[in-house]
Amino acid sequence: MIETALIETAAQLVVTALALGSTYALVALGFVLIINAVGAVNFAHGDLVMAAGFVTVALVTLLPAETALPGLVLLPGVMAVMALVALVLAALAYLPLRKGPPTSVFISTIAVGLILQHGIQLTAGPQPRVGPPLVGGGWVEGGGLLVSHQQIATVAVAALLVAAVHGLLHRTRFGRRLRAAAQDPELARALGINLAVTIAATFAIAGALAGGAGLLLSHQYFVTPTDGAGLMLKAYIATVIGGWGRVWGAALAALAIALFEVLVAAAVSYLVAEALLYIGVLAVLMARPRGLFGEAEGRRA
Amino acid sequence: MRRGTGFRGRAFNWARVPLVVGGLGAFLGLGPAAAADGPVPISVLVPITGFLALEGTAQRNGAVMALDEPPAGVTVTYDVADTATSPEVAVTALRRALDRQSPIAVAAPIFGTQMLAMAPIADRADVPLITVSGTAKLTELGHDIVFRFFPTDAVVKVAQARYAVEDLGMTRPAILYQTTAYGQSGHGELVRVLGDLGVAPVLEEAIDPSIKDFVPALERATAAGADGLLLQLHSGPTALAVRQAHEHGFGKPIVAGSALHQPTTAALVEPAALAGVCAESAASPISDPRPGVRAFAEAYRERFDSEPDAFALAQYDGMTMVLAAVADGARSPQAVKRWLGDNRHEGLAMTYRSDGKGNMAHDAVIVCYSGQDRVPEIVRRYDNVDGVR
Repeated sequence: MIETALIETAAQLVVTALALGSTYALVALGFVLIINAVGAVNFAHGDLVMAAGFVTVALVTLLPAETALPGLVLLPGVMAVMALVALVLAALAYLPLRKGPPTSVFISTIAVGLILQHGIQLTAGPQPRVGPPLVGGGWVEGGGLLVSHQQIATVAVAALLVAAVHGLLHRTRFGRRLRAAAQDPELARALGINLAVTIAATFAIAGALAGGAGLLLSHQYFVTPTDGAGLMLKAYIATVIGGWGRVWGAALAALAIALFEVLVAAAVSYLVAEALLYIGVLAVLMARPRGLFGEAEGRRA
Repeated sequence: MRRGTGFRGRAFNWARVPLVVGGLGAFLGLGPAAAADGPVPISVLVPITGFLALEGTAQRNGAVMALDEPPAGVTVTYDVADTATSPEVAVTALRRALDRQSPIAVAAPIFGTQMLAMAPIADRADVPLITVSGTAKLTELGHDIVFRFFPTDAVVKVAQARYAVEDLGMTRPAILYQTTAYGQSGHGELVRVLGDLGVAPVLEEAIDPSIKDFVPALERATAAGADGLLLQLHSGPTALAVRQAHEHGFGKPIVAGSALHQPTTAALVEPAALAGVCAESAASPISDPRPGVRAFAEAYRERFDSEPDAFALAQYDGMTMVLAAVADGARSPQAVKRWLGDNRHEGLAMTYRSDGKGNMAHDAVIVCYSGQDRVPEIVRRYDNVDGVR
């Protein structure tokens, strides 16, 4: 009887961790795509996700109150807006500096992130905001588990977006060009691939993923202008654990981080979970410096 | 014949006389004084950006509302500067204000870490800091220039713990608190007061502000046999904890910290999730029926297009007490400091009086939500908790 209750509790925790982890996976995926494409870290990525949350809230307030569209309907619009924002970020903070030292890009993306954070704080205010639910409310109950429609939709949407990016990268000619440019820019250029176009496209895809993640997070966990740094840290750790530049590695590591944090927090405490997570990161760095899945080919910033 | 000389034999410069007299006065503790009928300079240094921007903005709004409506015969000039989130920025803002504005008082940040860095500088300049910071240590360091217009944790945590135990009948509460100074200070006081009431918490969980998922903590509280939840969390985490407790059928009473009374926090949660949830606070401007508070709330809404919280009201009361001092003839920082230390002030939220250390607020309230809307009702008042008044 006690064992059954324990299993049910653990299963319930896994469900909530999967919902959180799938959004972290989207954040990490967008982050690692940029690393792959340009070999530099986009420190504004967490702030892009945060901005997407506020774009979602803004769209809701712009629409007539009686429409009350679910987040699923708004998702394509938010992703499109964030793709454009990411293109602007690339034009301002990456392309003019790409021939300079990597530290220039670090600093410029940090600056863009801070501009986004303070700009949103000035326009929307400092208070947390809540976005619309992806789908209507409701719960599914069975086997001692209580799963909300929102959680199911979050995991499903995140999985669809990850699969779509995988399909784009591996099953289209355009994706092959993107990967070729990421792995060996000089050879790709010699083969006639326009590097500026592939870089811009990658920023747009990463921005769209940030849009998806921001919308998913804004309802379930709210959004505040200062959220970017925390999200960025999660994406960075996922990338280190999953293998620098490994797309699937980062997504899986993000899921694993959420599961680890939730289960250890439930068994012991949040502080122990956090401490063990960072000890784990150190252990991975020492035992497998290229991450659990190895480092992708390309430049390391 | 040499004319009156001084300063190593150079010709005496009469233009320096006022500077010398002023400097001597400052040395003797008289400090810069505003002309008897001239405008009074006041600085407003609060965190308008960063993670405490919500509370800092409320502080600024409350301060400027008071400063824009000084009592008859008093005119005020004031500057507002952002202290953001670091002690360095706050110290720089204070030094600049002291150099350029010579304020007779400073509306100072809610952020205790910044206040701890600013207090020694303000102490040397002998300029009073008017704050709503809850950091207990602030008024225990011997500075006589800090005046706190928000009750400390030693006051509000008494209300939170007593209401949970005496009114809700909790005997096995779980405490979830933030890892920040705010969370730790409140947690310490909660445990102390619960101990005085003969109650021991069954779970004390420290939670980083970046944590989004409270289900593990709720599961652990349930497993520990908790019969209620006491929260000492910031705004967003408080709303997350309350919502997730509702969604996961926690089913036990919750008494939150003052973050929940903020209208922007309650706005994050559906009214149904707030049903039966209570919170401590110094005041609740949106639900207080007293005419003065109602008028303040309406003026605040009209001016800032947002709902006022207890921080805004406390900072408003603090600045009105400074202006009352000026109206009573206190025209220098030292005179204002003495007046604040010696006098009682009937503010909108409560009656303020220093305990000798600069703690001016001694009342707390408990507000509870019905589940029908997001406007709480004041269900209990705890007046003069520390017996100072």
